[in-house]
Amino acid sequence: MRYIDYKTVLPRTVAGALVSLIVILPVFTTNMITLSIFISSGIWAVAAMGFTLILRTGQFSLGQAAFMAIGGYTSAIFTVNLGWSFWPSFLLAGMVSGIIALIVGSIVLRVGGTYFSIITLALSEVVRIIAQQWESVTRGTRGLITSPPSPIAIGGFEINFYASAVPYFYLTVMLVAVTAVVFWQIGRSRIGGTFYSIAANPILAEHQGIPLMKYRVIAFTVAGVFTGLAGSLYAHSLTVMTPYMLGLWQSIQIMIMSVVGGVGSLAGGPIIGSIVLYTFGIYLSRVEIYGIQQLLFGGVVVLALLFLPKGTGLIDLWDRFWRKVVWREEEYEPDTPDD
Amino acid sequence: MSYLELRAVSKLFGKLAALQDINLQVNKGDIMGIVGPNGSGKTTLINVISGYYRPTRGTVLYDGKTISGKRPDQIAARGIARTFQSNVHFEGASVVESVMVSSYLQYRTRSWQAFFETRAYKDEHEAVVGRVLELLRMLDLFNDTFMPAEGLSHGYQRMLGIAIAMAANPRVLLLDEPTTGMNHEEAMFVVENIKKISEQGVTVILIEHNMKVLLNLATRVVVLNFGNKIAEGKPEEVMNNQEVIDAYLGTETE
Repeated sequence: MRYIDYKTVLPRTVAGALVSLIVILPVFTTNMITLSIFISSGIWAVAAMGFTLILRTGQFSLGQAAFMAIGGYTSAIFTVNLGWSFWPSFLLAGMVSGIIALIVGSIVLRVGGTYFSIITLALSEVVRIIAQQWESVTRGTRGLITSPPSPIAIGGFEINFYASAVPYFYLTVMLVAVTAVVFWQIGRSRIGGTFYSIAANPILAEHQGIPLMKYRVIAFTVAGVFTGLAGSLYAHSLTVMTPYMLGLWQSIQIMIMSVVGGVGSLAGGPIIGSIVLYTFGIYLSRVEIYGIQQLLFGGVVVLALLFLPKGTGLIDLWDRFWRKVVWREEEYEPDTPDD
Repeated sequence: MSYLELRAVSKLFGKLAALQDINLQVNKGDIMGIVGPNGSGKTTLINVISGYYRPTRGTVLYDGKTISGKRPDQIAARGIARTFQSNVHFEGASVVESVMVSSYLQYRTRSWQAFFETRAYKDEHEAVVGRVLELLRMLDLFNDTFMPAEGLSHGYQRMLGIAIAMAANPRVLLLDEPTTGMNHEEAMFVVENIKKISEQGVTVILIEHNMKVLLNLATRVVVLNFGNKIAEGKPEEVMNNQEVIDAYLGTETE
């Protein structure tokens, strides 16, 4: 008989059940507000996964919201100004964002490290200023009013994006699922190992024949494609795209979600981080003191970094919960070499 | 024609010449020893060959082609691997993980094949895992396969450095003081392994202070002093060269 390791099977089953609960959420409630929390969390989760993938190669991107803005504006411009339908614009948003990531990445990643962070920071400002000033196309600060995708009829069943938030919810779930599967597979394949090695020791990795630039650009581009798709979905689910929606604060928010969720996992951590922090942010926005949201947000990050060591994040709490509370395992202290 | 050749290579840091017009020929299958007092430019020489530094003047030729000015990964891809003077590792990786990620050059399949886990990739991956385990067994790291690399003792960290370099499938191996901080037995174990590596057809260039190791191993020895080549030849001849003795022990003043 095959031995079943219940200690790995049980947590996975419970995690799977929780994920399925979220996926079948519209069965219990079609409340617009509840669903929109999950839609927005999902969109941020995709962006946070992109950030985590770039962080895997040792680079700290502070301009991920810029790629959401590029994606959002691409699909908004093509649907509003050129009259394209949503679906081709959605795919085009991913492509445009990916191409811009490829071009910017091949120039900017040469410097790497802190300089890369600073330049990506500047990139998000550049995108915002272009969106604001190029009024003939982007309508400046008034923004572009986007419309949801037109209804799709499959047999007698009609998917209507105007009537409820459920179709958006499933579109988001699909985008998150595809991104999570792609990133998870990247992480566990040879490419993930290569990413890890160039972050852990770039000099050694380069002397082992790993082209640093190539893999940094791959990570940046893949992240750019999915972040662009998320941006397009963001613009259409909010039915508006303005230059101030995706700025520096949003880039930092993406970073915070990724770090608090746990950068050790490419898919799980960012998803948990964005659901928890976005929901938290929604409740904070009810507090009517100006600026308190950012302050408390910062407080949560500090607490998470203090009590969840070394970027393990919230996802690590899950493991700890099973090990300490459920199995009641003794803390394992590995022998440290005396040096 | 020589396999690896340095033609009038100089490396200046500001006005300080770490290497001055070095000419060097290494033949295929050689074990070339590089000796010299501290600060004589031995490590700089390896850094120049491996592409970590660009030579200020002169060219490095490998297999008839210029490699100076290329990036370290391009040089490694042509078959020149190196170890480092200090113990380097990938932070947080176990021994086998370190060697696996270092085996990048052993894969012929493309990244997309690795992503989709095609048949060709899986077969190749299995072969690479086999070679890595063989390498660990040869270098006596097999018992520590799943140990964190930074938890190894100094001697084993040196062996891991050689394993990582060998994982790149080199035809020329540059060893930067492989036996530092080792006792006689450990040093002799390294010597045995360098001989084995050499028998596999790998050309070896090693920096070494331990004369016993050099006499045992090297087919030719080059002596550097203040960035200049002061002697070259068989180990026994070089050891008795008056200029070499002066460089190491200083000259007698009257």
